[in-house]
Amino acid sequence: MNIIVCIKQILDPEIPARDFRVDSAKREAERGSANLVTNIFCENALETALQFREAHGGKITVVSVGPEGAEDVLRKALALTANEAVLVINDAPGLADPLFVARTLAAAIRKIGAFDAVLLGREAGDWGAGQTGGLLAEELGLPCISFAESLAPAAPGAVQVKRQTDSGWELLESTMPLVVTITNHEKNVPRIPKTRDVMQSYRKPLTKWTLADVGIDPASTAAYYEVAELSIPRKETQCEFIAGDTLEAKIDAFASRLTEVMRAL
Amino acid sequence: MNDPLQATRQVLWNIDHVWVMYALLLPTMGVAGYGIYRRVQRWRRGLSENRFDRPLERVALLMQNGLLQLRTWRKLYPGTLHAMIFWGFIVLTIATTVVMIDYDFGIPIMRGNFYLYFQSLTVDIFGALAIVGIGMAGYRRWIARPSQLVYTREADGLLVLILVILVSGFLIEGWRIAATDDPWGAWSPFGKLVADVSRQVMSVDAMIVAHRLTWWSHLLLVFGLIAWAPYTKLVHVVTSPLNLYTARLAPIGATLRKIDFEHSEKLGINSLAGFTWKDRLDFDACTECGRCTAVCPANRVGKLLSPRDIILDLRSLANDPQADPTQSYIGATPALSVEALWQCTTCGACVEACPVSIEQMPKIVDTRRFLVMEDAEFPETMQQALTSLETRGHPLRGTAFSRVDWTQGLNVTTMAEAKDADVLLWVGCGGALVERNQKVVRSLAQLLTKAGVKFAILGREEKCTGDPARRIGNEFLFSMLAEENIATLDRYQVKTIVTSCPHCFNTFQNEYPQFGGRYEVFHHSEYLAKLVSEGRLSADLPSDKTITFHDPCYLGRHNGVYDAPRQLVQISSSLAPVEMQQSRENGYCCGGGGGMSFIDEPPNQRVNQERARQVLETNADVVAVGCPFCMTMLEDGINARKGDRDVKVMDIAELLWQAVEQSPTS
Ligand code: SF4
Ligand code: SF4
Repeated sequence: MNIIVCIKQILDPEIPARDFRVDSAKREAERGSANLVTNIFCENALETALQFREAHGGKITVVSVGPEGAEDVLRKALALTANEAVLVINDAPGLADPLFVARTLAAAIRKIGAFDAVLLGREAGDWGAGQTGGLLAEELGLPCISFAESLAPAAPGAVQVKRQTDSGWELLESTMPLVVTITNHEKNVPRIPKTRDVMQSYRKPLTKWTLADVGIDPASTAAYYEVAELSIPRKETQCEFIAGDTLEAKIDAFASRLTEVMRAL
Repeated sequence: MNDPLQATRQVLWNIDHVWVMYALLLPTMGVAGYGIYRRVQRWRRGLSENRFDRPLERVALLMQNGLLQLRTWRKLYPGTLHAMIFWGFIVLTIATTVVMIDYDFGIPIMRGNFYLYFQSLTVDIFGALAIVGIGMAGYRRWIARPSQLVYTREADGLLVLILVILVSGFLIEGWRIAATDDPWGAWSPFGKLVADVSRQVMSVDAMIVAHRLTWWSHLLLVFGLIAWAPYTKLVHVVTSPLNLYTARLAPIGATLRKIDFEHSEKLGINSLAGFTWKDRLDFDACTECGRCTAVCPANRVGKLLSPRDIILDLRSLANDPQADPTQSYIGATPALSVEALWQCTTCGACVEACPVSIEQMPKIVDTRRFLVMEDAEFPETMQQALTSLETRGHPLRGTAFSRVDWTQGLNVTTMAEAKDADVLLWVGCGGALVERNQKVVRSLAQLLTKAGVKFAILGREEKCTGDPARRIGNEFLFSMLAEENIATLDRYQVKTIVTSCPHCFNTFQNEYPQFGGRYEVFHHSEYLAKLVSEGRLSADLPSDKTITFHDPCYLGRHNGVYDAPRQLVQISSSLAPVEMQQSRENGYCCGGGGGMSFIDEPPNQRVNQERARQVLETNADVVAVGCPFCMTMLEDGINARKGDRDVKVMDIAELLWQAVEQSPTS
């Protein structure tokens, strides 16, 4: 089975809170001293693909849309023994919105050729929009299963997908090809690479395409989606003492003050 | 007649057919020689390693730990008994050589005063001491039975055999003295005693017969022992001196080998084929004394890890002709199990304790390297620490701090800002990113400022030195971090580094030189002690607390720094410091080294709690530390154990700063 795993490089979500800043004018997070890392749900998706390949054979191709530096996350995927890697370079500053990314991915995937399943993380740890998977399925005209935790082979040409829901799980069967977004689960905790594979990952070929190569207009980067305002929520604490002669009086005063405050919010 | 200058005795009195002895000598030597030869062949199968540089230092080590038995003496009872047997046999061997020179080579040296003082009196006394030593060993092995010993038939057999040889020697001597009415008999007091007793119970004729029979039995037993020894643990008579001569000369902190990634077929070691000849010699040099396991902190709290059994199990494999040298030994025995390998704190206590300089801990790390780099199989929390190290340059996942948060309100500059700094203050991840330790670094920075030291930090440019990666076994990650840090340090032309983390200290001092980074490195205790002795800091307001100092393994045992922190403790309080039962070389690990601070230990097997117990055994109000890991581990341990006692954990820099803070600037 040919599996394509889409991978996104994001700003390290574990950056110490005090170091996290946003540029309100540009409406984006400041890079600052933070590192760039692989989005965790993308790692879960890759892990799911690796386990499927271990059990049933096949080939894994990882694809990313991003700046040159996104090569790092693809090299990490190669170190985890993904077979091939493709980077579609998008140098445009600012937000790459989900529809643009989905269209670019779809174009790249068509160019890669035959595949049976496309796996994505359920959402990215930066904006958390969670739209790319669904939009990609739409672009490719394929069925989409979201919030999946594992894949298993079913009848020829079909696959069984276990999907998490609010109240438990569902077991779905779908024809292939299809798009699956993966969520985290105790069974798809990302593994760490063997050092030998890390060393070799630098020697593995990595295909780079420009947007033009896949037939996407660079100007469409943020054409579908706009961030109206961006700020870090501020936490404020105010302390007020309620006065009263007796305990009863204090409680009454407290209750009425509380109602006031609640109304004001 | 009784002229002492003529004193001697007839060699081989009462013995005919002496040729039989010479005839037997040949096969004896043949069997023994073959035993040694086979071992040497096995060592030669190991990879190469140079352990023959600096011969003078090596001879000195051999003298100290071989001839003088200094390490063995560190444990009084076994040290004493071993010295008695060891020296007893040395003297007996010299005596036999004297007989040979006199009788076989015809050089009459066994005469006169030499005969009386050495060949009779000294030899008699040392022979008796050896018997006492064997008795003490027998008491220990058969009655006291400490768990650190290995209980085998072989060990029992050797002890009995040596005892019989020694006792029969005295019988032979005694009967000769009695039967020949030896005028010099009194010079052999114990032989004389046998003679006097025998005269009461036996006729001279009986003595002559008994002498002859016993003499031949004694001979057979001695030859038997010589032939058998190379096949038993007694081979350490040969292997220990070899191992002491080829011992590591660098401090324990410099034991880990660099890997040549370009040319290594396998990363780390998981089979005999990965070991050098010296590792293999280590296996054969083990005396089974068990001291390493007795001091192992993990073993002490009831974990599986036993450095002694790691060595002995590898030895069994190395000496098993059926064993495939390329077969993985990981998991082959409980001591070699993955579980045990992940219990080592790399404290180095085993290496320090071994009387024959065996290097147990590096073999553990070599095996971890295989598990981490080839198998990528190791505890998940350690994986997370290393992943964080790789992506964020520090192993402390989830920290709320950046590398410069601790400087708030202080006038601390970075190397990039301050072009004229003399000293780089290396803060370390533990210092910068763990809240409790930030207070330590703040104290240190204030002390340096007060003393007028021009220092700066790297700030956000600092990355973990890589110590946890190296001890956990990811040598690849370690070498990348080392190269990156060395490049940064080069960029600022750093010459002098002061750090409050002994792990960083050790890495700069002993490991970065392997990668071309050479600096003058001070642990903050050394640097502060220097500032105090130069009069640049004075502790005018010592506290009134009783302080005990906990030696960090990577400062003490790994690098031999014991006194500087104690000087600071001394001047920080007006009360005399107290020592814990285990301190200095013998210090007990906090449990946090070797990546173990990233592992959740079972609640009933926590090394830090055992150390906390030892702290609480003293009457100290404060336990002084000199390491961010010790700080965290001991605070946890003390909090769990202290009950309603008020015992604090403080870094030496904090203690000194308290005592200096209000002093007028000098
Ligand atoms: S280094 Fe310390 S923890 Fe590791 S085996 Fe030796 S004594 Fe035990
Ligand atoms: S390794 Fe050293 S300390 Fe440990 S049992 Fe062997 S000889 Fe003794």
